[in-house]
Amino acid sequence: MAGLGSCYEGGDGEGKKKDSIYHQVKEFLDKGETLAVATIVSVKGSTPREVGAKMVVTAWGEILGTIGGGCGEADVKREAIEAIRTRKPRTVRIDLLDDISSDSPAVCGGIMNIFIDPWWPERDQEAGSAR
Amino acid sequence: MTSFSEELVAISEQGAAAVLATVVEVAGESRVEAGAKCLVRDGKVAAENIGDPAAVEAILRESAARLSAEKSQLVSLDLPSGKLEVFFEVMPEPPKLIVVGAGHIAVPLVQIAKVLDFHVIVIDDRLLFANRERFPDADEVLVGDMARVLKEMTLTPACYIVLITRGHSYDEPCLREIIHSQAKYIGMIGSRRRIKACFQRFRDEDKVAEEVIERVYAPIGLDIGTETPAEIALAILGEVIKVRRGGKAASLSDR
Repeated sequence: MAGLGSCYEGGDGEGKKKDSIYHQVKEFLDKGETLAVATIVSVKGSTPREVGAKMVVTAWGEILGTIGGGCGEADVKREAIEAIRTRKPRTVRIDLLDDISSDSPAVCGGIMNIFIDPWWPERDQEAGSAR
Repeated sequence: MTSFSEELVAISEQGAAAVLATVVEVAGESRVEAGAKCLVRDGKVAAENIGDPAAVEAILRESAARLSAEKSQLVSLDLPSGKLEVFFEVMPEPPKLIVVGAGHIAVPLVQIAKVLDFHVIVIDDRLLFANRERFPDADEVLVGDMARVLKEMTLTPACYIVLITRGHSYDEPCLREIIHSQAKYIGMIGSRRRIKACFQRFRDEDKVAEEVIERVYAPIGLDIGTETPAEIALAILGEVIKVRRGGKAASLSDR
């Protein structure tokens, strides 16, 4: 990219990102595992994280990434394990309004819809008609 | 045959712009399944298991709109076969900050920009300033005639350019190279008097249109009462973020 009369000063240059959530997804799929990707697809009111925030849940309930700390994550984890078992996606509505009176630090006050999508190797390979 | 995860990993590593559309809900006669996906890269389908050409067409169209808005969103698509709720996950080209001039403001500027997840490129014509020891966090450090280096670069709407060279006689030829580029932000340091004179030369000698000149943020940065180089760097990046995200830069409490 550097032009004429310029030179490159050391370093590894193009800082490749190897830590994206899909790197982690691929790692699990390569081991033949089924996992679930939970994504915030819509929100109303004040929520801890933005639309598009993701969390990966493994078949054993291991969690990578966050969709907002304590706020509803336990519910999502339970549903994700169910989605992995049945291999059927589902949408979960997390209502954070209930939390306001509690002494939990996760007081947010909004509602978020979370799509829980199971991924498994055969499904991932269905990439089909690349044009 | 390739897989979704392989394509997604490649997109992330290559810093490409892409959209992953996932069907979240299906209503009507449609045979599309919830969880079906279409991955769009460079305006083309890179992978899909939707199975319905009309749905893929609609997704392709909507992806372009989502990408230019840089916003992930749930969208209802009305198709002859039924209604699909589709989540569009936008993976924009990572923003690039091009810092021209490796002086005392550049050092904290690069540090803060890395915290903000920019791909940072530093350019200076002096190896004494443009080097790895001075900028260990930078993704690229380029040494060469600054205007010429800029001329050779491909400047996309993901580029944000900060002109902070050691003198006006260096900033101006750099600005001349980039003023017509697609860069989303061009900022130039300097006093109002010098900037005014520079813009006048652009009008008179280069016949640069007024709306093109108005794109340039000069003097550079937000008015936050800066005193130190690090504070100036923060004011510059505040302006960059304001342009990127479309903010107003007023105190939220003043609304």
